[in-house]
Amino acid sequence: MAKEMIAMLLAGGQGSRLYALTQKLAKPAVPFGGKYRIIDFPLSNCVNSGIDTVGVCTQYQPLVLNEYIGNGQPWDLDRLHGGVHVLPPYQKASGSDWYKGTANAIYQNIPFIERYSPKYVIILSGDQICKQDYSDFLRFHKEKNAEFSVAVMEVPWDEASRFGLMVTDEDDRINAFQEKPKNPKSNLASMGIYIFNWDILKKYLTEDEQDPNSENDFGKNIIPNLLKDNRRMYAYHFNGYWKDVGTISSLWEANMEVLDPEHSGINLFDDDWKIYSRNAGLPGHKIGVDAVLENSMVTDGCRIDGTVKHSVIFSGVTVEKGAVVEDAVVMGGTVIRANAVVRHCIIAENVVIRENAVVGAMPEGDEKAVATVGSGVTIGIGAKVGPTAMVREDVKDGEEV
Amino acid sequence: MMNSYDDALGIIFPNSYDSLVPQLVTERSMASIPFGARYRMIDFILSSMVNSDIDNIAIIVRQNYHSLMDHLGTGREWDLARKNGGLNIFPPYAEKTVKVYTGRVEALESILLFLRSQKEKYVVLTDANLAVNFDFREMIRRHTESGADITIAYQRTEIPEGLIRPNEIAQDLYYTLALDGTRVNKIYMNQTTPGIKNLAMNIYIVDRELLIDLINTAYVRGMSYFERDIIADRLDELNVQGYEYDGYVARITDMKSYFDENMKLLDDRNLDALFSGNTIYTKIRDDNPTRYIGNAVAKNVMVADGCVIEGTIENSILFRGVKIGKGAVVKNCVLMQDTVVGEKVMLDHVITDKNVTISAGKELVGTASFPVYAEKYRKI
Repeated sequence: MAKEMIAMLLAGGQGSRLYALTQKLAKPAVPFGGKYRIIDFPLSNCVNSGIDTVGVCTQYQPLVLNEYIGNGQPWDLDRLHGGVHVLPPYQKASGSDWYKGTANAIYQNIPFIERYSPKYVIILSGDQICKQDYSDFLRFHKEKNAEFSVAVMEVPWDEASRFGLMVTDEDDRINAFQEKPKNPKSNLASMGIYIFNWDILKKYLTEDEQDPNSENDFGKNIIPNLLKDNRRMYAYHFNGYWKDVGTISSLWEANMEVLDPEHSGINLFDDDWKIYSRNAGLPGHKIGVDAVLENSMVTDGCRIDGTVKHSVIFSGVTVEKGAVVEDAVVMGGTVIRANAVVRHCIIAENVVIRENAVVGAMPEGDEKAVATVGSGVTIGIGAKVGPTAMVREDVKDGEEV
Repeated sequence: MMNSYDDALGIIFPNSYDSLVPQLVTERSMASIPFGARYRMIDFILSSMVNSDIDNIAIIVRQNYHSLMDHLGTGREWDLARKNGGLNIFPPYAEKTVKVYTGRVEALESILLFLRSQKEKYVVLTDANLAVNFDFREMIRRHTESGADITIAYQRTEIPEGLIRPNEIAQDLYYTLALDGTRVNKIYMNQTTPGIKNLAMNIYIVDRELLIDLINTAYVRGMSYFERDIIADRLDELNVQGYEYDGYVARITDMKSYFDENMKLLDDRNLDALFSGNTIYTKIRDDNPTRYIGNAVAKNVMVADGCVIEGTIENSILFRGVKIGKGAVVKNCVLMQDTVVGEKVMLDHVITDKNVTISAGKELVGTASFPVYAEKYRKI
């Protein structure tokens, strides 16, 4: 049975810029927004857009991600024909290869895609927070009779040189591509989300694989090759919320934006576009008599007896009496003991911050650093973690890092 | 491969004690009454069974079972969507009897064919009026060791007011046990004398073959109550054992106890007692986390996901998707899922059912003994 369009999700990135958060898990598995993981966004977008077949290309620290995706049931992706499949690099008769680049990850999974004989393939990335209707994108692709379309965002001109830019004519047809140029000729940044006609994609992947000098990357190789051949390439304008959360500060920022959907544009309270996730199965959260809560999000299973201001508190977090949490992202199962102070930071899962410890500080002046504590770490009694620190190991009582 | 604990089949009677809370069950059964911010009553027994490796569970519904069917679905959320066993819901068998069953005997008789065809050695029978995190493995072990024909779980407690008060009209009986050691030598019905009693939890373990025999005999003789007509009369010939349960029990016997049992969960000791054991599963709604906005104030509350709090909440239980408007003050309330409380509303001692909307500026005040109740979809 042929599918009109299937999705391939690139989830292989190591996420090295997320440092302490991606020691034990792949970037798409990084928790986000109180009860989600980053991958919930593209998976939910797929289901909400009517795509029921998703291949997830993964190779770095896949354990958590594999278990999380499971049979795909939380996203309604447990299907008889299709559904979500985790695709690690595998041993072939001719030997095995790690995914060499984004294009190679798809190339190695051509047999998977062929099983569904799709007309179109959408390539998604596993490190973005975005609510996007891919069916509207596909409609555009078909209307333009395109062979390749890329979703683009208008960015401020003075920031344009940080992005891969699409230069287009008045009909949105792409006639040039600039990768992080010094002198940008466009302010249309690629979101790294592509729709290909499958026959075209297959042809270019196969040719690219034969090129020994290629880095097997969509941005560096495939797109330039398409341009060179004057293929019908179009830029689809997206103007909703979109955030690349590949760095600690952007991840922190995106979480803070969740607290202010009225202004930031990322609304998780949208009944028409739900973001699905695997559920922790904990009872409702409990706010104690002495607790103070301001502009925060709190998830099932939390016990809050301290002060929480402008923070995102994930499921099963405990904040004891006298503790202060401010401008912080506190991930699942973490315990913040009495009188500890946690500010302007990201605390990963299952961390213990013991009595009177101090983690992070409100920024002074232009300082934008976000203190980060990796999962499973214990911060000792009275210990201090500075505002720029990245902690991966336990910190002893009274120690300063 | 079955291990020894695997060897029991669960049967749940979701409509038992419906008559005690008529307002809450106008469109549902006792089993589907919302409880504890995000659960339905049946979640506790069902999860306890699953956590005790009982994965073949029959639910014999009597009436108003749409909300229960909707809640349970395929049973997937309790890991009960199975090829072998899993969840079996038995609606009333309309062809055979026009009247729906009154007692357990008729209910069990209607699934006799099913009971015969199963393989488990034991049957666990329960109602759904108790919120417990119950270890059936331990009870089955005791049943096996004692060589009992039937084991009945009980708690040492006073008879709840709600059970005593309406007992002339209620069709649901309650039972207290007199014990000789652990053996039950007398079963009292609707006892009203004050003091601590061995109050039956209506959780029974019985040999499946024996149960089939007992039901057959009783049905032929036109008996309808399992406890009154079968067990109570045959305590001499049957080895009926009592099993004392001293874990946390929330028992719904009337509106006041519904209110009180919810409120009791605001005490961390009670919350831990009910939830710190095995996970209690429920239907997933995919709500986002709860947001506290602006000048929201929250003191001593239990709140499920999906709520938006802009006002003040105190000593209250909020189910999933409740909205509290700016300037509203909610004290001592149980607000069921998707209740909307408008701006500057004042609520004290109020229970709102699902999807109740209270428009801006309204004031509703009940008392601890008579909380105000607003029924499903009511607009105030």
